[in-house]
Amino acid sequence: MQGNQQQQAYDRGITIFSPDGRLYQVEYAREAVKRGSASVGIRTADGVVLAADRQTRSPLIEEESIEKIHEADEHAGIASAGHVADARQLVDFARRQSQVERLRYDEPIGIETLTKRTTDHIQQYTQTGGARPFGVALLIGGIEDGEPRLFEADPSGTPYEWQAVAIGGGREDIQDYLEEEYTPEMDLDGGVTLALEALAEGTDELDAESVDIATVDTESEQLQSLSGEEVTDYAAEADLGGEDDE
Amino acid sequence: MNEPTDFPQNPYEPELGSFEETSEQDSDAVVKTGTTTVGVSTDDGVVIGTDRRASLGGRFVSNKNVTKVEQVHPTAALTLVGSVGGAQSFIRTLRSESNLYDSRRGEPMSIHALATLAGNFARGGPFLAINPILGGVDDEGSHVYSIDPAGGVMKDDYTVTGSGMQLAHGALEGEYDSDLSIEEAEVLTARAVQAATERDTGSGNGLVTATVTDDGVDIQEYDAATDLL
Repeated sequence: MQGNQQQQAYDRGITIFSPDGRLYQVEYAREAVKRGSASVGIRTADGVVLAADRQTRSPLIEEESIEKIHEADEHAGIASAGHVADARQLVDFARRQSQVERLRYDEPIGIETLTKRTTDHIQQYTQTGGARPFGVALLIGGIEDGEPRLFEADPSGTPYEWQAVAIGGGREDIQDYLEEEYTPEMDLDGGVTLALEALAEGTDELDAESVDIATVDTESEQLQSLSGEEVTDYAAEADLGGEDDE
Repeated sequence: MNEPTDFPQNPYEPELGSFEETSEQDSDAVVKTGTTTVGVSTDDGVVIGTDRRASLGGRFVSNKNVTKVEQVHPTAALTLVGSVGGAQSFIRTLRSESNLYDSRRGEPMSIHALATLAGNFARGGPFLAINPILGGVDDEGSHVYSIDPAGGVMKDDYTVTGSGMQLAHGALEGEYDSDLSIEEAEVLTARAVQAATERDTGSGNGLVTATVTDDGVDIQEYDAATDLL
């Protein structure tokens, strides 16, 4: 009984390293992220774009009920890929941390600080006995001291800052596309278009109506959601996502 | 399962250490010094001036060589007014919180954030009767705040706290000008502390100035407030 169980223990226990130094539960959590539909983040000269593909199981589902982009605070948005329920817990954590910053310092929280608070929280679930890591990756974007900032939080609890990044299913293809097409000089409009094109790259058929897009620009410093109509307009202009497309 | 713990547990408390309970009896036992502390802001920085006397209710001079202004942040200083123990603990707490913020984020707190934090601590903490002035410089310019024992935080161009406040205010009123140079502000501050020294029994024994600019905090001690006039 003992032998077999002990051999497999590192596969099961989150706090146990495998003999070659890996945390399998964290790697499984990354697999859960890959199963989710993709989200894209793009940092432009005048703001940050977050875009998420909410694949719908049925035409009867209310699209609005599939939340993939969330407001953490008025100047900060979070897009997710992976387990939506896990994402909601992290988003609420980030919301509370944003308000703690206002209570404590009377200032809006910096995007880097918000990300690091959240990733420190995620990390604790890779080192706590009996816990399960979060099966979700986040893109945290917003304006800090007048500058657009964009971060990724992965299930290990490591923060990364990006110019343009994809998480979730089809990440490799989307990231390749971003690496080819992204320029730091692009404006917010260009960022929205690139986000849509990139999402289309990661899937066989992109339905523009199921894409959720939000921006935080340096002028308003407010998270603003694009309406479905605005998204389809962008998609039509970029020549993708329409019903009779291609 | 060990519950993961999240920072910070309470937004109104310091992250390091915690506030202990204080009783009414403790408040009665507090030694309150007299004092005069003055803060004046200019375009180039902030000048803070204090006297150097610690007294027992203004009736007995218990120390003639107290430095009542200390650096709490790369470009900010706070005065000690009221309970000596409370004020010293308050300064240590604020300084360590400021250091922690700075090392985590790679940039110092704004003075407004520091003043908000100080107000939260004064309101919730065991620091008892303190009434300090916070002066500092950041990207937004020069700032002077007074912080009251209940946690009230008020910004002004110049302010005074302590037992000699009416006298010092009298010297400042009408003399303050937002175009003052740092040197002129030092002289004005010395004059205000000198006015209080002459008539307030809780204030005296010289002058300490803290000049806060982009370069940092420079603290100077003088045997007499008149040395700068």
